[in-house]
Amino acid sequence: MTELVVGTTPVVIEETRGFWEGTLVGELRVQRCTACGARQLPGGPCCSSCWSRDLVWEAVSGCGTVFSFTVVRHAFHPSFADRVPYVLADIRLDEGPILTSNVTDVAVEEVRIGMPVRVWFDEPIEDAFHTPLALPKFRPE
Amino acid sequence: MSTSGMIAIAGVGTTPFGKLPGRSAWSLQAEAVRNAVADAGLTKDDVDGLFTEPQFSEPLLLHGHVLGRMLGLKTDYLSTISIGGATAITLVQQAAMAISAGLCEVAVCVYGENAKTGLPMLFGLAQMGRGQADDIAYGMAGGPVMEARSAMRYKHEYAVTDEMFGAVAVSFRHHATMNPAAMYRDPLTMEQYLASRMVAEPLRVLDCTIGASDGGVAIVVTSAERARDLAKPPVLVAGMGAGHNLDGLKDPAHYTHFAGARSSQRAYAMAGIGPQDVDVAQFYDCFTSTVLITVEDYGFCKKGEAGPFALDGNLKVGGRLPTNTSGGMLSEANMTGWNHLAEGVRQIRGECGARQVPGAEVCVVSGHGGFQAAHATLVLTKGGR
Ligand SMILES: [Zn+2]
Repeated sequence: MTELVVGTTPVVIEETRGFWEGTLVGELRVQRCTACGARQLPGGPCCSSCWSRDLVWEAVSGCGTVFSFTVVRHAFHPSFADRVPYVLADIRLDEGPILTSNVTDVAVEEVRIGMPVRVWFDEPIEDAFHTPLALPKFRPE
Repeated sequence: MSTSGMIAIAGVGTTPFGKLPGRSAWSLQAEAVRNAVADAGLTKDDVDGLFTEPQFSEPLLLHGHVLGRMLGLKTDYLSTISIGGATAITLVQQAAMAISAGLCEVAVCVYGENAKTGLPMLFGLAQMGRGQADDIAYGMAGGPVMEARSAMRYKHEYAVTDEMFGAVAVSFRHHATMNPAAMYRDPLTMEQYLASRMVAEPLRVLDCTIGASDGGVAIVVTSAERARDLAKPPVLVAGMGAGHNLDGLKDPAHYTHFAGARSSQRAYAMAGIGPQDVDVAQFYDCFTSTVLITVEDYGFCKKGEAGPFALDGNLKVGGRLPTNTSGGMLSEANMTGWNHLAEGVRQIRGECGARQVPGAEVCVVSGHGGFQAAHATLVLTKGGR
């Protein structure tokens, strides 16, 4: 079977631009609705709670806990062949939304549900249209 | 208003499953349709409705139109949809609705794919929408990686053991040993399951559906009245339901509760039955964890009790809820839920030989997918002649 390999770099679109701009200045940002106060990730064209379009990107603490995770031991995509085993985790931010990312700087066997983590930002890269961004990742507090 | 008991499945057609080099997806779809129409005792010219799932290879916007032209059909009603693992059941539901609304009389629903030997399985997540697909940057590629976080949270909340996941794989393989069409027919022991390679913890390779299979399945849907006089005993569509958790894993509750609860409740209500009336189940088994959560969502166990239920052998023929009697996608073939429909129909007809559930009159079939979001249910019952 031949495989069409799809790229692994995010693509910055209008709905996520504020998020990625934040990563370049060391801020983890969440979209907040100024009409009802709901916070959401990923960014969208409207507030998914009240449909207001009055949305702002707001820096959050960067702190959260591991809500769930997996230790990936098989590389399903060639880009990750030299990274296995790695931890893919859903981080529940202290401010509410869940963000999928990696937990780094810890043995994969030690990652636990409920583990407190804090964000850090990887080296800046560019998306396919040369828009700069930096991947937010997490390490134990 | 409901269509309960007014619509029937009159024919089922399958191709061989497995490695079929040189076969295009189109040819597998065509073979499945021919087999299903012949099974019903109908001919090409009886078909006036076509419901298709687009293929990964040669994806097209107008899949149904192209297939219909190849088959020389004169369809009055046609629909092509793609909602992941819930597509098969949703297409049968749409066919039932179209027939009850008077838009067509004999509908064929079809899937066929040469995913094993043919063209590329795309990395689906990356195709799910720019900007929403950024999770692939962190290594979220491949179905097991996507599902593992639900399975991990489920284990954490309900103290589920590895052996409980294993019981699902072992039970379904047991059924596959009695199914000549299954790709994997060697018996599987718990020791072999536990020794299998971990791919995305807590999921082992034997927790995952067979990666890709070549093959096709087609289902003929018509009115119960018309089905009564056709070649095979009619299987009634007694209940239908659907539900979608559109925020998937962005909602903490959805790791362990699928939309299957809503979907099954609607289907049970329409059919006028409850879980206690079900003789056999065909549950979408992309992963063993998915099956356990579905058993709970469908009311067969309380939350967290499906694991011990499976460990006690209840998912096997002879147990309280014989499930995936063909081997399902864990052992028979990965037909993205279509083989579950075929098996459900054959169980109600009593055609399943050694793996037949004696006296099976009520079968519940689930479809599940769309990154934990999509879910659909059918209740099939024995029809009179
Ligand atoms: Zn709002």
